[in-house]
Amino acid sequence: MQSPINSPNLMTERRLRNISFYSSSAHSNLNHQEMETVNTSATLAVLLEPANYDEIAMQQSLLFSDSLKDLKNLRKQLYAAAEYFELSYTNEDKKHLVVDTLKDYAIKAVVNTIDHLGAVSSKVNDLLGEKVNEVSETEHRVSCIKQRLSTCQGCFDHEGLAQQSSVINIPKYHKRYILPVGETMQGGIRTKSKYQGCSLEDEDDWHEFKNAVRATIKESPVSSFRKGRSPSPSPRASHQPGSFAFTGAVTRKDLEKRSVSPRKFSLLRMGSLTSRPTTPNSRASSRSTTPNSVVRQRFAESPKSASMRIHSDRDRYKETDQKNQIPSKSKRLLKALLSRRKSKKDELLYTYLDEY
Amino acid sequence: MARAGGITNAVNVGIAVQADWENREFISHISLNVRQLFDFLVQFEATTKSKLASLNEKLDTLERRLELLEVQVSTATANPNLFKT
Repeated sequence: MQSPINSPNLMTERRLRNISFYSSSAHSNLNHQEMETVNTSATLAVLLEPANYDEIAMQQSLLFSDSLKDLKNLRKQLYAAAEYFELSYTNEDKKHLVVDTLKDYAIKAVVNTIDHLGAVSSKVNDLLGEKVNEVSETEHRVSCIKQRLSTCQGCFDHEGLAQQSSVINIPKYHKRYILPVGETMQGGIRTKSKYQGCSLEDEDDWHEFKNAVRATIKESPVSSFRKGRSPSPSPRASHQPGSFAFTGAVTRKDLEKRSVSPRKFSLLRMGSLTSRPTTPNSRASSRSTTPNSVVRQRFAESPKSASMRIHSDRDRYKETDQKNQIPSKSKRLLKALLSRRKSKKDELLYTYLDEY
Repeated sequence: MARAGGITNAVNVGIAVQADWENREFISHISLNVRQLFDFLVQFEATTKSKLASLNEKLDTLERRLELLEVQVSTATANPNLFKT
């Protein structure tokens, strides 16, 4: 790459030195600003020693802006150097020297440009990486806050659900365990109001039971109870098919006795069942089936009643042979019927029955 | 003398041709470096654009999440009965 100049003139040497100076000045413009920025950054970094993060960020942004300005000025410098070398090549005699200087300038310009672009790109990459890291940290924080919020929301929901469930979910007991109105448990926990909460259902049951009793009475004009209690059937009962037959036979004494112990009434009703197979009337079959169907409707849910029903059916089929066993089983049935109402409603039942 | 002059001319031509090839080689090297620089700039632009796009998307998502959290917190603070347990 050495120029084949063997006998250089002094003037040409000066001019070439000038060219090289200008070319090197055009080239040194790049390095000059770069060196300035490096020196300023070093002085800022060492002498000032920024206290907080903002000052460091400001210095970095200043350096970045300076390097970007240098890159913008690089284009103008390259165009200016190219024009200068073109003119010098056409005007000067020592063209080899001009070409050699141009080659050196081009090499240095390319190297400096690459360095500059590398520095700027690395700074941009670092800046972007920092921002991405900040964003990821912020995402993590936001997710933590969101998780905390969801946990709090779950706690609120759980607490509210617990509160509402304590209001709504009243414990349901079987009817046999529900105390009548006005009475309370010994512990005093379950009060009258809780029993009244089930009063509607009890009324329905009460109506069902009333209808069952009506049907029983309707389809048994000649009550065995009457037979048991009073051997002569009253004509009033035969004229009123829907009425209860043994009202005439039940006296005040009996009512009082029943109110004291309802089981006695069941024993009285048991007499009707005992006398039922003895009736030779054709109605006996319908009479024997109808109450069972009503009772079946009434106690379709309880297996105990079903078993009793089965027992009663079995008694009906074996009524001729086991006359002594029928009263005991029907007695159980009626005991089960009436033991469910060991309350004031039994009294209402008895009053209702007495009305008829 | 004529032969000597012919030899020197041939030598000068050979030297000129060699210099011309050297100049061409140098120009090819410089152009290759400039192309590589251009490729690097194009690649850097693409990479930076994709990074900026992903960053913008993440910032949008964060902004939405923060807005949602802000609304939830404002709702919770507007209804202090929620905190009375």
